[in-house]
Amino acid sequence: MVTDSEHLREARLVFYQEDVDRINAVLNDFLKLSDSKCNILIDKEGHMVTKAGTTGDINLQSVAALVAGSYAATREMARLLGEEEFSVLFHQGKKDSIQLTLVGDRTLLATVFDERTTIGMVRLYAKEASDKLAKIFKDILSRPPRPNSGLGDDFSKSAKGALDFFFVDE
Amino acid sequence: MVQINFSLREVNCKIVYYGPGLSGKTTNLEIIHAKAPKGSTGDLTSIATEGDRTLFFDFLPLDLGQVAGMKTRFQIYTVPGQVYYNSTRKLVLQGSDGIVFVADSKRGKMPENLESLENLLENLKEYGLDLNQVSLVLQYNKRDLPDVYTIDEMNAALNKWGVPHCEAVARDGHGVFPTLKKLAGMVLESLNRQHTGAPAAATPVKAREQKVPVQVGAVGAAGAQAASPRATQTIRVGAGAQGARPQAGRGVAASAAPAISVKPMPINSARGTHAAAMGGPVPQPQRARKGRGILVGLILLAVAGAGAYLWFSGLLKDLL
Repeated sequence: MVTDSEHLREARLVFYQEDVDRINAVLNDFLKLSDSKCNILIDKEGHMVTKAGTTGDINLQSVAALVAGSYAATREMARLLGEEEFSVLFHQGKKDSIQLTLVGDRTLLATVFDERTTIGMVRLYAKEASDKLAKIFKDILSRPPRPNSGLGDDFSKSAKGALDFFFVDE
Repeated sequence: MVQINFSLREVNCKIVYYGPGLSGKTTNLEIIHAKAPKGSTGDLTSIATEGDRTLFFDFLPLDLGQVAGMKTRFQIYTVPGQVYYNSTRKLVLQGSDGIVFVADSKRGKMPENLESLENLLENLKEYGLDLNQVSLVLQYNKRDLPDVYTIDEMNAALNKWGVPHCEAVARDGHGVFPTLKKLAGMVLESLNRQHTGAPAAATPVKAREQKVPVQVGAVGAAGAQAASPRATQTIRVGAGAQGARPQAGRGVAASAAPAISVKPMPINSARGTHAAAMGGPVPQPQRARKGRGILVGLILLAVAGAGAYLWFSGLLKDLL
């Protein structure tokens, strides 16, 4: 029987340095091949995992939240149409456009590109990158959990101090 | 769910403000955005209708700073409160680590609060979650209004689990930070528990076994009529304001109210059902019943033995 703790541990995404290095290598390859501006990997809860390319002054946190929201809404639409989900979404702008590609079960790849490339090129290489990333995520999820995730033993105490400092009593 | 990224040295948590329409969820976020230390919050993003009602969600990233060497961030969302938008509300709730339920304290609003709370539990259940896995804090908002439920009444109606609650006047900023601080602490404590194997600081939320279900004071008759059609039990409470206590310093005056009726959530309707729904311990009366059965059996045996003895001694007497 799966306990609450096990359920939460399974549901939680933990990325170690070596995972992100492997993901970054795939994103950088995809960036060059597709000639896109930037690639942002986002989990379905709207947290950014990593990025590649030039993000300039894009507010990445807000973009990540909106991408996750947009994807979630579209998936609901798909469900109403009898589809499990739409694996690729595309938003076209005058200068910049964005394509969202589902990666595995838990993450989304947002690719921002402009007129230097075409939607066809982005779509072609995104599929390849998505498959490679899905394999990395499969490896991450299949590996046995580490006894200690790496959060310091003083996490709880430090968190309390940070909260007291941040939320000054009224 | 929490994302821990050792490459970026970040911990990301998701907090959702839930509650009925116009209870003050977006106002909470606006106050956090306005009053949080400079540089700790990003832009407040709202996907709202022309009339400023939340259509999909409001979003505010909040950077708590370094916690044990990890940059700790909260992504704070609100949901649209109107009943009509349940599908979008459910989407926003996905993957949340902590929930602030913003309840409207104004008299007559209890049915809406109850309906929204029930909807929250239903939506969590659809994601396979319950309150043992997601932290919950109740915020009793609009405490400055002249005709509000007492805190006891709010707790009796909404807080079956004994989770922390905060009083607030979100419009003026009162109670907004304490609510968020409480929930943020619970979320980080839960994270610590899961990842460092630290012992639980507090017992996880378990449903309280209640012999007598909710006691709700003084809900307006109109509100009672609007109660959830799924409600199963009617409770009548007389003179709800008798036990009311004025909220010192808040300028709240509790007024006498007539006897009323309110239809509470069905989860309160049957003893044990609620506990089962929340993953809590289900009462098991079988053992007590078995013990009683043995006792009755022994008594019957003793009576039969005594009767047999008397009859036998009487028979012997006759013979002799």
